[in-house]
Amino acid sequence: MNRFKMFVLLSVLTGISLFAASNSITIAGSTTVLPIAQRAAESFMDIHEDLSISVRGGGSGVGIAALIDGRADIADASRPIKTKEIKLAREKGIDPYANIVARDGLAVVVNPKTPVDSISIENLKKIFTGEIENWKDVGGPNKAIVAISRDYSSGTFEVFKELVLEGAKVKDGALMLASNKAVATTVTTTPYSIGYIGLGYLSDEVKALTVDGVKPSEETVKKGEYKLARPLFMYTNGEPKGTVKTFMDFVFSSQGQEIAREVGYVPVK
Amino acid sequence: MRRFWYLLYPGLLIFAATMSLTGAETKVSMTLWNRYTAELVDGDFNGSVFSLERGYFRIEPTFNDKVKGRFNVDFFSDEDGLDGAGLKLKYAYLDFHEVFPIPESKISAGLIKHYFGTIYDWEYISIQKALEDKEKVASSTDYGLALYGYLPGGFGEYAVSLLNGEGYKKTGADVDKEPEIDANLRIIPIPGLTIGGSVLFESDESDRLAYAGVGHFSKGPFELWGEYLVSDMNDITGNGFMIMPILKLKGMTGIDVDLLGRFDLWDGDTDIDDNGHMNITAGVNWNFLRDEKGTPMVFLQIQGERTMFEDETAVDIDQLMVQLQWNFSNVF
Repeated sequence: MNRFKMFVLLSVLTGISLFAASNSITIAGSTTVLPIAQRAAESFMDIHEDLSISVRGGGSGVGIAALIDGRADIADASRPIKTKEIKLAREKGIDPYANIVARDGLAVVVNPKTPVDSISIENLKKIFTGEIENWKDVGGPNKAIVAISRDYSSGTFEVFKELVLEGAKVKDGALMLASNKAVATTVTTTPYSIGYIGLGYLSDEVKALTVDGVKPSEETVKKGEYKLARPLFMYTNGEPKGTVKTFMDFVFSSQGQEIAREVGYVPVK
Repeated sequence: MRRFWYLLYPGLLIFAATMSLTGAETKVSMTLWNRYTAELVDGDFNGSVFSLERGYFRIEPTFNDKVKGRFNVDFFSDEDGLDGAGLKLKYAYLDFHEVFPIPESKISAGLIKHYFGTIYDWEYISIQKALEDKEKVASSTDYGLALYGYLPGGFGEYAVSLLNGEGYKKTGADVDKEPEIDANLRIIPIPGLTIGGSVLFESDESDRLAYAGVGHFSKGPFELWGEYLVSDMNDITGNGFMIMPILKLKGMTGIDVDLLGRFDLWDGDTDIDDNGHMNITAGVNWNFLRDEKGTPMVFLQIQGERTMFEDETAVDIDQLMVQLQWNFSNVF
């Protein structure tokens, strides 16, 4: 009898968890998308007091893994999902759906005291692969370059690897940091350093370089002139439904898109 | 003891080479399976033992986007080994991505995964091995080459392999003249449903043919694995199946616990009566700690397994297994 009761209880719990609607949303993933997700979640909860949203970073790969495992309802990503990840998701009953919520330029930043204002993508690759190690080789002073990169698991790194490194490895000795904020802070405090961050993390504390003659800005990203640009995603399980749809509708609303602009990204609507 | 070093030296050399010469990204990891096994024969206690069932030491260098490798040795408790420890070479291969103009494909060369049935992505959710491994129809790894790839849009995967056919334990003179040819296909027609099949063939001396049908269903906290396996070796035909339901309780209880059951039926020679057996397993898996990507880092498994024999004169064997699986890694 006890075993029968246990079976019934587990069956009921399974049914509840399969079909119950939730009034909370968990968002995880890219630190690049994080400012949009955080600000949008705060504004959304001001309007919908009965709904709660938890937002955390971790990187695009972490967010997508959380969506696949059912630990997140929305995966923030600064790169498109990989075929391997789609296969894994489909095996587990998850159908990743891409919502492009904004566009971002990848800004190449230096310490403001570094007397260099522009760089080519070719030289950028040489710096991060170790072929160029001194600022004098790119029109700067005779000082060693301190290269600062994002860590391997971040979507920002994936995009940089694709658009700049073309698959080559980052040199030994480059600092590999876990967030855009950490890169910006380290560039600010480290003379003759160079790094790359999402457009949303630009501030007066760092100097953004012109890349192949184009300054990173909303206008140049929107026009497709700035080469180091990418879409930013919020992946959901299928087309958004229920509470998740209510939140995604907010992100795509004029208020949500204004948030994307305020944190430094280019709106898509 | 020399055997240890013969196997360990190449690994250390690869590690040193990748770390110092190429500057490649290298992942170093270990996974250990500490197990307690208690056995009852026909209801009578027959002894118990603590052991290190497996201890995988892996080095996985990424040379660039196109070339990656894996070297894996297994240190384990072994009464026949020196000082109670044994060592197996488990993986030693390089992956060459998109060598052919086929998107999302790779060629694996060396001591590679055996893309057959459920064996190549078996995650030991049940402590027991995959059916084909347990019944010695196919080894988990083998020497050879494989073309592996994803179907467009993540709709599945495929593999075609050319192998020694004798598994990772046999080399040199123990390997027969005929290679084994394998084909494997898995399709995910709708999210949550995977179906697939594998076939392996080796002619002449060993005259082997085996095929497997695989099904996997996943919806919310419920998951179900199923496999049907047929083996034909030297005119001896065996067949059987495995089903394994899993219920994940985390969403309901907040505790990262899975309940699982497993039923295996295997008849090693269908021409002989009373030589089949079946296994019934029930257990609990408790994930204490996961990494940020959700991969279990410390994982306790408590499972009971009963083996029953078709031969009525044979007695049932019960095993209680408690296993602590833990792993750690770092990327250099």
